[in-house]
Amino acid sequence: MIAQIGFSILLAGVVVYAWTEYRRAPVISILSILVATAGFYFVWLPSHATRLATLVGIGRGVDLVIYVWLVISLILLLNLHLKLRSQAELITILMREISLANARTAEPNK
Amino acid sequence: MTSKHRKKLDARSIWIVVAAYNEAAVLSPIVSDLVRRSYRVVVVDDGSHDATGQIALSTGATVVTHPVNLGQGAALQTGINFALQQGADYIVTFDADGQHRSSDVARLIDALIDRDAAYALGSRFLGSSRGMPLGRRFLLQAAVWLTRVLTGLHLTDTHNGLRAMTREGASRISLRQNRMAHASELLEQISASGLRHVEVPVTIDYTRYSLAKGQRFSDSLAILFDLSAQKLNR
Repeated sequence: MIAQIGFSILLAGVVVYAWTEYRRAPVISILSILVATAGFYFVWLPSHATRLATLVGIGRGVDLVIYVWLVISLILLLNLHLKLRSQAELITILMREISLANARTAEPNK
Repeated sequence: MTSKHRKKLDARSIWIVVAAYNEAAVLSPIVSDLVRRSYRVVVVDDGSHDATGQIALSTGATVVTHPVNLGQGAALQTGINFALQQGADYIVTFDADGQHRSSDVARLIDALIDRDAAYALGSRFLGSSRGMPLGRRFLLQAAVWLTRVLTGLHLTDTHNGLRAMTREGASRISLRQNRMAHASELLEQISASGLRHVEVPVTIDYTRYSLAKGQRFSDSLAILFDLSAQKLNR
């Protein structure tokens, strides 16, 4: 029970984070929420996880939960990458404005 | 278009955008040649560590300097923005590594005017290329195929840095891909603009220098990753 509550709190954190990211990266956000929801389901119904795990050839239900967590981690990693890209775009815009304001032209020969 | 329009055309209304990163070894004759033809040239020094900016300035170009290296896509967008600010009627992008011929610029501008197009894209496969390795040819053909799938544009050469655009065409371009994926992004934006584009035969001269600076297979994977990542981001 303690593990289930702990996992659920972590998954709830993922859902809240995904929700806040929806405006910036909707695909990533929806994907995170879907995978986190699957995580909730398997954490609270481990027998279903075991059945599904056997069906897809993983073996144990707990392994399936770990795999779901791994997928969430990868999605969040991708999201972090996208966030860095957004930051880089802002830096580019800033640098461009500075560069344009300081354009240099050679003095014409007299 | 009419000969009246052509008569009015002044080379000073044509801005050539040259994105340059550490090109001090080859830049001088390239810029001089363009300036001699009365084009206005803006060299975007993309955070070079050598004398690229100083050389460009001494050969008659206007120089816009990025404080740090941002990438060719970012440099081209900076150059396009600058040319638009200066009131350019036509903007041409031109590589700094010596692959392009300045004589092709007039052919691109003629194509814009005569064929009433907003974009004239240089094609080495309609024109000619000297010294192109087989691997490069294969890579470029793969890019042509991929562009056809992604943008619906039927082009023969999708990664040619020699292109011209009208003022209206240039104002529709807003590159967010700082590095090599900008060429594909630009074609996507051309396709999305709905404005007319044409291909023009040009000549590409490969040199040992330009080949060393050119794209590799690993770059094409990075381009695919960058384009996919942008699709996930707003």
